[in-house]
Amino acid sequence: MKNGLLITILSLLFVGCSHKVPALNNNNNNISDANEISPDTVSIDDHNYDDSNNMKNNNILSSNVMNNSSDGFRSIYFAFDKYNISSNMQSNMSTNIKVAKDSSHKIKLEGNCDEFGTDEYNYALGLKRAKAVKDEMVSQSIAPAKMIIISFGESNPVCKESTNSCYERNRRVDIHLLK
Amino acid sequence: MHKLILLLIGFTLSFNMLFAVDATLKIKKDVEQRTHIALIDCSEAQNSKVFKIFLSDFKISGHFLVDTKHYIGDISNNFILPKLKNKEYVLKYKFSQNNSSKLEVKLLNVSNGNIIFSKTYSILNRTKMPFLIHKSVSEVNNILNYPNISWINRYVVYSVYSAPRHSEIYLSDYTFNYKKIIVRGGLNLFPKWADRKQHNLYYTSYKNVLPTLYKLNIYTGTKTKIISSEGMLVCSDVSSDGSKLLLTMAPNAQADIYQLNLLTHSKKRITRFNGIDVNGRYASDENHIIFVSNRLGYPNIFKKSINASGISQMVYHGRNNSSCDAYGDKIIYSSRETNNAFRNNKFNIYLLSESTLDTRPLTTTGSNQFPRFSSDGSVVMFLKQYSGHTSVGYTNLNSYQSLLFPFYGKKVQSIDW
Repeated sequence: MKNGLLITILSLLFVGCSHKVPALNNNNNNISDANEISPDTVSIDDHNYDDSNNMKNNNILSSNVMNNSSDGFRSIYFAFDKYNISSNMQSNMSTNIKVAKDSSHKIKLEGNCDEFGTDEYNYALGLKRAKAVKDEMVSQSIAPAKMIIISFGESNPVCKESTNSCYERNRRVDIHLLK
Repeated sequence: MHKLILLLIGFTLSFNMLFAVDATLKIKKDVEQRTHIALIDCSEAQNSKVFKIFLSDFKISGHFLVDTKHYIGDISNNFILPKLKNKEYVLKYKFSQNNSSKLEVKLLNVSNGNIIFSKTYSILNRTKMPFLIHKSVSEVNNILNYPNISWINRYVVYSVYSAPRHSEIYLSDYTFNYKKIIVRGGLNLFPKWADRKQHNLYYTSYKNVLPTLYKLNIYTGTKTKIISSEGMLVCSDVSSDGSKLLLTMAPNAQADIYQLNLLTHSKKRITRFNGIDVNGRYASDENHIIFVSNRLGYPNIFKKSINASGISQMVYHGRNNSSCDAYGDKIIYSSRETNNAFRNNKFNIYLLSESTLDTRPLTTTGSNQFPRFSSDGSVVMFLKQYSGHTSVGYTNLNSYQSLLFPFYGKKVQSIDW
C-alpha cells in the first residue's frame, strides 16, 4: 500500500519526462537575425515634426495661487471622481461668464484630473468636467460655438505633492482665451 | 516512509512557491507537465543580464522548469555535467558583443547527448540584444513542439509623463531590458499598434488645438494624420485586419465610442450615453465590443453589438471597474477594491470567461492596472505598484506562471504590446 502511494507520487512528479524528442533538422543550422525587429527604428520629435501651429502654453500663473486659468478667468474645482459644479464654485462661474461675454475671442476649456484614475476613463472624466462648465456657460447665453473643450486627463498637474490640497487643485477646469 | 512522502509533497509545493510571484486563487497541478531544462553559459565573458533574460523567457513560457543555477561550460563539445543528468534538456549558449550582438545556442538531449537544435543569431544594434534571446527561446520552444510563444519577440509600446503637458513614447521588449524613446516633444498619448507586424502605431498628439490621431511607421518615420476631435481622442483598439479602429472621441463634447472604417472613411457611433463611455475593445467575432461605462453611476464593464442597441452588463462585483481588454470570449479588467480619495487605492486584475461565466482574480496585492492580453491571448500584462515600487507583471493563463519585472522611470500613461 505504502509502495503504491510512493509510486503514484513519483509518477505525478516526473510524468512529463517522456516528452517526445524531435530529430535534429539540419536546415535550422543557419545564421539568422531576429528578422522582424532587426531594422533600426526612428526617434522623432513630435513637437517639431511639421509646420502645424503649436499649442500656445497658457500656464502663466503661479501654481501656489488657486487659479490656473488666464485672461481674467477663474479655474473651477471639483470633488473626487465628480463632474458636477459645486455651489462654492458659483462665484468663479459668475466671473467666467462675465469675462466670456466681454470677449470676442474663442474660449478654450481644459478639463483636468488628479492622478488616481485610469488612462482613458480619467481623460473622459476631465472632459465631463469641461463640458459641465461649458453647459453652465451656454445656459447663461454664451454661444456654444464660441467654446472648445479639451481634456488633459492627469497630464497637466499644477502640483505633485501627495497632499489632499494638491489633489484638489489638480481636479479642475482651466479657461483661456484662444488668441 | 511518512517522512519521504512529506518530503516529496514539500518538494512539490516548493516548486509552486518558487515561481508564484503573484498568487492566483485557482491551483492547477501543472509542474509535472513541464520540461526540465538547464542553461550552460559558454560565453567568454559571462553576463548575468543575458542569463536572467533566458530564465525569464523559459519561465513565462509555462512549458519549462528551468534550473536557476548559472552553469559555465564549453559550447564546442557536447559534454553534460553529471549533476545535470536529471534534466531532460540542456541549452548551451555563447553570447558576444562587439559592434553587434551575436548569440549561439545548442540544445542537447540529456538522455543521449544528441544535438536537437543549433543556431546562431546576430543583430547589428547592440541594445537590441534581448530580442536575440527571446527569438532563440521561442524557437527552442517550437522545436520541442510546445504551443507557440512568439509574443515574447514583440515590441511593447508605452507612453510616460515626463513633465506637465509633456510625455514620451517608448519601445521596449517585454522584459524592459531594451528601451528606446520613439516619440518625444509635447504631449503624445495612447500609443496603439496599428498592425500585427508592429510596423506602424497610432498615437494621439496634442500639438494642435484639437487632439489629433496620427499613424507612425516606426522604421521610416512616415507620419499620417488620421482624424481630429474636440474634447478627447483615443484609438482604443484595432480590428484584426487593421481596417477598422475603435475610437473614443467627443465631436459634440460627449465622449462616446465610434468605429472608423479606414477603407471607406466612414465613421459609426456605437454608444450613445450622456455619461462616460470609453475603452472600447473588439470582442468575440469583432461584431461586438466591450467597454467601460458609468451608466450605473460608477465605472463598470459592458458589452454591446456594433450594429444593435442592446447592452449587457458583464461584471457584477466591485464599484469601480474602469479599464478592460478582450480576447475572444475572455475579458480582463481592473477593479478598485478600496475607495480613498487621497491616496493610492488597491486595484486587482480579474479574468472573466464569457463561455463559462467564471471570474477569477489574477492579482492579489498592490495596485494593478493597465491589463492587456498578449497577441495570442495566452498571457496578461499589467502594471503593478506595491510598496512604493512599480513593476510590469505577466501572468500566463495556461500555466498560471507569473513574473514581475521592475519598472524604473516616470508614470506610465498607457501601454500596448
